[in-house]
Amino acid sequence: MTLAGIAGSRRLTGAARRRARTGLLLVSPALALVAVFTLIPLGFGVYMSLTNWPLVGSYNFIGLANYQALLHNTLFIQSIVFTLKYTAIVTLPILIIGYALAVLVRSNRRGAVLIRTLIFLPFIVGLTTESYMAVVELQPQSGTANFVLGKLGIVKDTTAWLVHTGLALTAICVLVVWFAAGLTMMLLMAGMQSVPEELYESAKVDGASWWSAERRVTMPLLQRSIVLSLVISVIGSFLAFNQFYIMTMGGPGTSTLSVVMSIVNTGFSSFDIGLASAMSVVLIIVVGVISFAQFRFLQRGED
Amino acid sequence: MATTRSQQTHRARGDVAVAGRELAQRTQRKAVAGRRQSGGGVLYLAAGLGVSAVFVVPLLWEIFRSLQPETTVTQPPSAASFGHLTFGNYQALLSGQDDIIRNVLNSLIVALLTAAVTAVVATLAGYGFAQFRFPGSQLSFGLVLVAFMVPFQAILIPLFVEMHFLRLLNSLVGLALFYTAFNLPFGVYVMRNSFLQVPRELVDAARVDGASVLGTLTTVLRPLILPGMATTALYAFLFSWTEFLAALTFLTKDSLFTLPVSLINVESGNYGAINYGLLLAGAVISMIPCVVAYVALQRYYVRGLVSGALKG
Repeated sequence: MTLAGIAGSRRLTGAARRRARTGLLLVSPALALVAVFTLIPLGFGVYMSLTNWPLVGSYNFIGLANYQALLHNTLFIQSIVFTLKYTAIVTLPILIIGYALAVLVRSNRRGAVLIRTLIFLPFIVGLTTESYMAVVELQPQSGTANFVLGKLGIVKDTTAWLVHTGLALTAICVLVVWFAAGLTMMLLMAGMQSVPEELYESAKVDGASWWSAERRVTMPLLQRSIVLSLVISVIGSFLAFNQFYIMTMGGPGTSTLSVVMSIVNTGFSSFDIGLASAMSVVLIIVVGVISFAQFRFLQRGED
Repeated sequence: MATTRSQQTHRARGDVAVAGRELAQRTQRKAVAGRRQSGGGVLYLAAGLGVSAVFVVPLLWEIFRSLQPETTVTQPPSAASFGHLTFGNYQALLSGQDDIIRNVLNSLIVALLTAAVTAVVATLAGYGFAQFRFPGSQLSFGLVLVAFMVPFQAILIPLFVEMHFLRLLNSLVGLALFYTAFNLPFGVYVMRNSFLQVPRELVDAARVDGASVLGTLTTVLRPLILPGMATTALYAFLFSWTEFLAALTFLTKDSLFTLPVSLINVESGNYGAINYGLLLAGAVISMIPCVVAYVALQRYYVRGLVSGALKG
């Protein structure tokens, strides 16, 4: 190798090293922020869950005592049961209504984009804002809900929605389905639009009805999108907080207390940070298992 | 040299243009197929708008209700109440002692700061991950994806303690930094994909011409990655504008509350008697920026959904 060649290759490695440093420099702000605000708290939370961390003062390691305490914490268990129930109620309606809406807006006909935009608006506006609106409209005597349903003879106009467990849960579930159906619609629509047109045409040639084409062509190809939208909506339900905090404060009593609400209460009202951290770890594991199962399912689909 | 660069740039732009045209043709073909298959356009439009009404009319109705005087909002709706509309609720909300303007400004500061910082930091990281090779790049991108799956609700308690240590509680900048970090994994993912689609020759040509790394980014690459940046910024803005739980936890001073949190005070009547007129006016104010931003930048929003969906 000539001298010039060696010098050239050395210069190249020098340049490559410089580029490597530049690359690291470019990603470091993002890595630092993600580390400080997500990854470190994740580890720190596990650590705190093994202690009797107070808001001020020193703390001791207490091993798994917090987790043992959770097994007997009726409020936490009740909040898990309630959140599961809430998730079970809203998940299917969101999927089915979202699917039907996606069928409506996947078309190339004039107006489809406008219709899609309008249906998606409740999701964009956000559940927090809409929960405040719902509070006003669910008031007995003055709210629009009782006015309309009263005229239809379904409820009395004195119905106090937010102070009865069953009624409050019903109202919140209706609100959430209305809010979230648009997101499922968008996700499924994206999947449906990538189904090749020819498949429908050949199904039509075979004399398949609309429904059987939907079942035999669309649904199998849509598996990934369906799983994705299911996981997003299940995780979203598991993490529910805003609508319950604003509309019922977990009440009446603690009958509509969601898991996140019970964590927040334990941490910031009872100041039992260690126990609240243990609750958080349980929540992370549940959400992690759902995410992981979805990941595996989607990977299997790729093979 | 300068000519080489402009030629190269030109050629690469040409490639992009050709690709774009092909895509447009394909879309057109698909559109034709769709139209052929369909019929009864008017019927479709009518049915579609009927369904949309279920989703839009409640929102419009709340705007109307917010324009009723307080006394009417707390009365059952009647024909007479349609006649008397006023901005009274908004005036009371924005001028009285229950000064919501400050909270609206807090929300705007946090949301705009989050959107800007997220877009810039995600762009730099996307550039680094897509166009540079460095030790640990796989691992660090993996960590970003792990962070993607961590819901902040589940790390709220340790976050609170940590932000207390860092003196970031009761700070709008602290809240914006947290929002930025939470939006970054999605942003980095979107921006990395944007940079992966940039033709290799374009970057190489700029480098041969001696353009600096940041120079390449702000001149040659800018037009190609602006859509991705718009997507990232839009998602960060909408998230921060509507976020409730973290703002409720990390801010305890009324004067620092963002709009969604300050409405809790209105709802619970911390400013005197519970006033549903004010509450509705506040809710409508918080609704408007989302709707405007989404309708104006819808294209970028849908792009983000699709790329998120592809991630799976």
